[in-house]
Amino acid sequence: MKSGMHVELLGLPRERAGVADLDVEADTLGQLLAALAIRFPSFGDMIAADRLKPSFTANLNGERFISDPATGLKPSDSVLILSADAGG
Amino acid sequence: METPALFGYHGCYLRIDASDGRVDRIPIPETVLRQFVGGSGLGAWLLLEEGDPAADALAPAAPLVFAFSPLVGSPLTTSAKFAVVSKSPLTNRINDSLASSGFAIAGKRCGCDAIVILGRAAGPSVMIIDDGCVSLETAEALRGASCPITEETLKGRLGADYQIASIGPAGEHAVRYATISHGGRHAGRGGSGAVLGSKNVKAIAVRGTQRCEWAHPRELTAYSRGLSKRSFGPATAKYRELGTAANLLTFNRLGALPTRNFQSGTFDDAASISPEEIRTTHSRTRASCVACTIGCEHIYGLGDERGVRLEYESLFALGSLCGISDPNTVLRASRLCDDLGIDTISAGGTIAFAMECVQRGWLDEPWLTFGSSDALLRAIELVGRREGVGDLLAEGSRRAAETIGHESIAFAPQVKGLEIPGYEPRALQTMALGFAVGARGADHNRSGAYEVDFSEKVDRRHATLDAVRHAIETEDKAALMDSLIICKFLRGVFEDFFAESADMLQRVTGWDATADELRHTARRIVGIKRRFNLMAGWTRDEDTLPARFLDTPLPNDPNATISRRQLDALVAEYHRQRGW
Repeated sequence: MKSGMHVELLGLPRERAGVADLDVEADTLGQLLAALAIRFPSFGDMIAADRLKPSFTANLNGERFISDPATGLKPSDSVLILSADAGG
Repeated sequence: METPALFGYHGCYLRIDASDGRVDRIPIPETVLRQFVGGSGLGAWLLLEEGDPAADALAPAAPLVFAFSPLVGSPLTTSAKFAVVSKSPLTNRINDSLASSGFAIAGKRCGCDAIVILGRAAGPSVMIIDDGCVSLETAEALRGASCPITEETLKGRLGADYQIASIGPAGEHAVRYATISHGGRHAGRGGSGAVLGSKNVKAIAVRGTQRCEWAHPRELTAYSRGLSKRSFGPATAKYRELGTAANLLTFNRLGALPTRNFQSGTFDDAASISPEEIRTTHSRTRASCVACTIGCEHIYGLGDERGVRLEYESLFALGSLCGISDPNTVLRASRLCDDLGIDTISAGGTIAFAMECVQRGWLDEPWLTFGSSDALLRAIELVGRREGVGDLLAEGSRRAAETIGHESIAFAPQVKGLEIPGYEPRALQTMALGFAVGARGADHNRSGAYEVDFSEKVDRRHATLDAVRHAIETEDKAALMDSLIICKFLRGVFEDFFAESADMLQRVTGWDATADELRHTARRIVGIKRRFNLMAGWTRDEDTLPARFLDTPLPNDPNATISRRQLDALVAEYHRQRGW
């Protein structure tokens, strides 16, 4: 049974999507990214199948960074999608 | 046609005595060029050749080096950069600051790979270097002029083909974190502007006609085209589309945005000063350095003809760090720093530190409070002219803490005297190590360890010894990038940075450079900076963080804690892996 979880978009992903956050139904990171790619065609240069391309990264609950598409997600999770490059 | 002795280099530097304008052209052995490449590396070597590391940074005998690189003037994107290297009057350790762009090309066309300035002019002067010939003119009429006015005035008088590097009032007044400005960009950190000011040189004007030849021009052009094409891709999209200021909301979300002098890692009003918000109320244009295809500069309007170039570091330092939530204040403060010739990070850090001292009742300047726009702007003005409390704050947070006393040194936001950039060390602990061991102090440009914290390689809030090798790798990469010199915003486009650097050097110089050789070169460059610091009096106790960051959790994130023992272990492992 899929569950809706919170997705926060920061920086370029937010710019491309035109929204700051949304809810997505997914059990894994891969499913979540695939859903985002369908919902936002402008994510074409960010997502390849079920993975983020190297210039972007995902973070779970503001704590650890994740990339494995099989990473399990819980309904209470919040997934952040952001640029991998933090240079300033 | 005669084959040049060197490709990509002139094989010499100019040594100029500001006391009398005397210039000597000194050969640089090819072995030295190959060992230290250019930029920061060559500058560090010249600094040791020409000066005494133990001497006062502001003494006439202290050298100030402008170092170019073999890639300057080539078609390689982002290569129009120069390094300014000296002993820092802020840290008393080595300082290398980089800036772009036309000055690098014009300076190298003077027929040299570096310019070393020694001595002290009798009065405020403009140093004019015309194809390698040097003259000094009075700058009396420019005394107290801002950086942009100085540059505009000199270009108007000398001609548009001159490229100008100048100091503002802060450099004239020996503010210890004064910058050298060129075209609105700054060799910003560590006080190189105070060093130039100590030589009574208000500005340097360069132009020249001498070009280097490339060893393999056709291959270089083909490679450069490919690199430019890649530079339009997703690896640089963040810089192109939003600029570095895009970090603000990300860092705030991760609890890593330094706020109110590092008393918190989140700022409630972050959204109001974010670029996403500012651009809804202010005009925005984009610009780029000469010979750059990225175009990372985002310039915001302030209702007049002059825009303000806004970067993340200025945004955090003059925004959240001082508790400022008004975007106009941040923009005005950033412009004020640029005009006066002050490093925005050290200005924000030192003023935020003073605001906390006022908050604790240790500094009797009741107007200087967190969140006060008037206070921030007034404090910057005072620093730039060393007036009132500005005279104390012009010394930087470490020296100010020594004067203020109490236990204020515990929260002076600095390492080795250099104020900490916009990365909360407790929330980004590989970066914490990078700050602690940095040769020029707390520094995000010489250590890119934050990249590691933004990955699965480490737990950013619980650094282990495994973080050390990652921190070293980013430091080595930065050392080579700063010596080649190419922009760090390109780093994401390289699959194998050292291998591609070897490709670039081969095409420019004809050397049979390899990735392994350049890894060793990077370590040699890190090593020579350490050698300078050792000779200047460095001790291992300096490789640490202020007490605030140790053993005390970040208030907004109890899991973000780094103990003194943990940091000591990381530093010891860093030294061990460096072979020190």
